[in-house]
Amino acid sequence: MNQEIHARAEQLIAQERVEGIPPADHDWLSAHLQECSRCAERARHTEHGLRSLRTMAIAVPSGLASRTQFRVRLRAQELREREPQRRALWLACAVSWAFGIASAPYVWRLFQWFGERTGVPKLVWELGFGLWWTIPALFFAVVVLMEKMRQGGESGWTRQSR
Amino acid sequence: MADEAKSIARGLQRRDPDLLDHLIEQYQYRLFRYLVYVTGSKERAEDFFQETWIRVLERGHQYDGKSKFEAWLFAIARHLVIDWQRSKKPQSLDTLTDPEQESPLQLANEKEPSPLHQVLSRESEENVQTSLSQIPAIYREVLVLRFQEELQIEEMAGVLSVPLSTVKSRLYRGLEALRGALQGGAV
Repeated sequence: MNQEIHARAEQLIAQERVEGIPPADHDWLSAHLQECSRCAERARHTEHGLRSLRTMAIAVPSGLASRTQFRVRLRAQELREREPQRRALWLACAVSWAFGIASAPYVWRLFQWFGERTGVPKLVWELGFGLWWTIPALFFAVVVLMEKMRQGGESGWTRQSR
Repeated sequence: MADEAKSIARGLQRRDPDLLDHLIEQYQYRLFRYLVYVTGSKERAEDFFQETWIRVLERGHQYDGKSKFEAWLFAIARHLVIDWQRSKKPQSLDTLTDPEQESPLQLANEKEPSPLHQVLSRESEENVQTSLSQIPAIYREVLVLRFQEELQIEEMAGVLSVPLSTVKSRLYRGLEALRGALQGGAV
């Protein structure tokens, strides 16, 4: 029997367990395993390993589930308590945006009037208006950044404890 | 299965504490076993077990119920382990996911019996169990997901965030490593 036949058998032994094989290949493999003790041994070893893997037991430490449930409940409570604050913060952001958009034409005129009165170059007061306009965006960015830092810090302390 | 997954997704959206209690009970064995295989240490697996469920609570709204809950759960657990591994010693994503690398998730000192080896030895004296501890973690992980958890290859690809072809290749190599370890050969 040449090496290529054994190689095909070895490949089919693995393939059968990983993703399955067509009936024709299955028949060929069964016939080959009956006449080739080396490949049959290989198939037995593979099957034995997988059977052992399936049946192997690892004991879960006692109380792990209840300790975890307790921690999860505590964390859920924390999140619930923070929810109104977070909602208020997002509401403030939204109101700030809405107010910014609604008041933009008036503020523009105000900047224009102020620029003309003081003789400030047009580019400067336009820049001033631009900066005023970015305040809500900056506020929003700071809020998002703080949220991210808080989340990072929370997962960080659990890692440090390991 | 789909109805159950949808119902879990709805419960997680609400952060339903009773549902979480039930899920922790239901999946405790499977998740713990997976973590022991991935981390190679029972103590570390305990830490990650708790952290995984905290993450499930916090990110529960991201689970849409379209896939199996356990696949999503294992993906969360795996990402936590990888994040921790990265923070422990800087290394590239390739190091963590390249099957050619030497036991990338194996944290044991090579001169001493690995923690997994010790855990398994305590559980049973069978040769096959100690042999398993010699298999690189990256292959052990796919063997566990496929043959213990009975996940489909597509689901495994989701858990591991790798293409199907990579899952298959790891499975083939894992099987070879398992067989080699059982026969007492080098892995």
